[in-house]
Amino acid sequence: MPIVSAAVCPHPPLLVPEIAGGAAAELDDLRAACLAAIDQLADADTLVIVGSGTTTGARYDASAGGTFGPYGAPGVQVGSGEPVLPLSLTMGAWLVNQSKAAGLPRLLITVAADETPAACLELGQELAHGNERVALLVMGDGSARRSEHSPVHLHPRAEIFDTTVAAALDLADTTTLSALDPDLATTLQAVGRAPWQVLAGATATTPLQGNLTHHTAPYGVGYFVASWT
Amino acid sequence: MPDHQDADEPGVLRLGRRSFGPAEFALMAIVNRTPDSFFDRGATFATEAAYEAIDQAVADGADLVDIGGVKAGYGEPVSEDEELRRTVDFVAGIRERHPELVISVDTYRSGVARRVGAAGADLINDTWAGADPEIPAAAAEYGTGLVCSHVGGLTPRTDPHRMAYDDVVADVIRTTTALAERAVAAGVRRDGILIDPTHDFGKNTLQSLELTRRLDELAATGWPVLVAVSNKDFIGETLDLPPGQRGSGTLAALTVSAWLGARVFRVHDVPAAQQALDLVAVLRGAAQPAGTRRSLA
Repeated sequence: MPIVSAAVCPHPPLLVPEIAGGAAAELDDLRAACLAAIDQLADADTLVIVGSGTTTGARYDASAGGTFGPYGAPGVQVGSGEPVLPLSLTMGAWLVNQSKAAGLPRLLITVAADETPAACLELGQELAHGNERVALLVMGDGSARRSEHSPVHLHPRAEIFDTTVAAALDLADTTTLSALDPDLATTLQAVGRAPWQVLAGATATTPLQGNLTHHTAPYGVGYFVASWT
Repeated sequence: MPDHQDADEPGVLRLGRRSFGPAEFALMAIVNRTPDSFFDRGATFATEAAYEAIDQAVADGADLVDIGGVKAGYGEPVSEDEELRRTVDFVAGIRERHPELVISVDTYRSGVARRVGAAGADLINDTWAGADPEIPAAAAEYGTGLVCSHVGGLTPRTDPHRMAYDDVVADVIRTTTALAERAVAAGVRRDGILIDPTHDFGKNTLQSLELTRRLDELAATGWPVLVAVSNKDFIGETLDLPPGQRGSGTLAALTVSAWLGARVFRVHDVPAAQQALDLVAVLRGAAQPAGTRRSLA
């Protein structure tokens, strides 16, 4: 069976209330949108969470540890044991644990932030193989160069890049996602590029209906939430 | 001020004509030659205003002044020529007016470090943590001291984005002490080197707070610790206050840092910092109260 549903969410540490402190309410809408999108994955047999990391293909199960300690909140953790998950997957697990999909069997897998589009698509196709009805949670952020007050200096192409991604996520346009330029994404510090291309590979042969439910950049970093069913 | 320190006493910090013992606090006044720095917004960009600010800082009790020709954060590019134009003659002018004052220059460029060294600067405040690897050689060449900073690998004039540290304090100690040893190896005077955790640079607010809370661990390295917390964003985010309203928060962070062993304090408001540090000095037993008559007559 193929991929039966997918959700796309961002992974800013700020999403965690214990890190944001008094600023937590500023991302209430984003957090709610993420959980609503992930709730829609609950009907699948199994859940695969894809997020950027330092290598491609590191695989973890639901027990894998992740911590927000490196961002200042050592008390917020997922899984058990030594923290091994990158930020993207730690955030994915943290969101899933609060959602209706919390009980699904779970595989977490990394894709290198600088992985080639071809290898991303191939990883996606591989995830779509097998007999189980798989739901995909894809963790990725837009450009960190969206505004004058961005973490990284404003880049004139950041806005159009993110707008293109937003439209593609809304239309489940795997062709556009597959064609995102990795060098441009690196320049724009859009860490979602590789995971979105895994999504494109996973759903290329069995198209889903796209729906972009959230697109904001309140701190100059592009955040997208999409639900593909 | 006369120099009472024994030349061989360990832990003495020597900058220009001044020596600061291990239990002594030194105040560094910030005077920016920039049109766009976050706090003063160009108040001392003009030459006369800058000299007046120096005179005032000295009158207020500053031991050091820190001259910056380039805004720390993202902003208009400033060429090396323009940075030199903003700093070199000014340093020479201050040297002439205030022979005892320790002059620090906040720069990440070795070319600037050399020229201000020649003009009379006593300390190079390399806030961008050795981004220019020739900085220690420049400090060595002119006998100036050097501030060794921690920016988590950021390049100059960029802001932090999701900086992550297994242990931010350990990372700061590892980085700054390595820079300090590298500076010694390059010929910089060991007794002119400071380490600076560099709050906010390459750090989120929680990480800067952690550094403040555990500043004693930095002091325990034996290197004199400089703290530059004045009006910074970690104070603003903690208290939800804009730059103009962080004075009291600044004093709280300064006081805790002093209590935990910091020795040099880079500040905008010298008299306020002086008062806080004078009290901490007495609490630590490093100084006596000015006069104790209450209930004693």
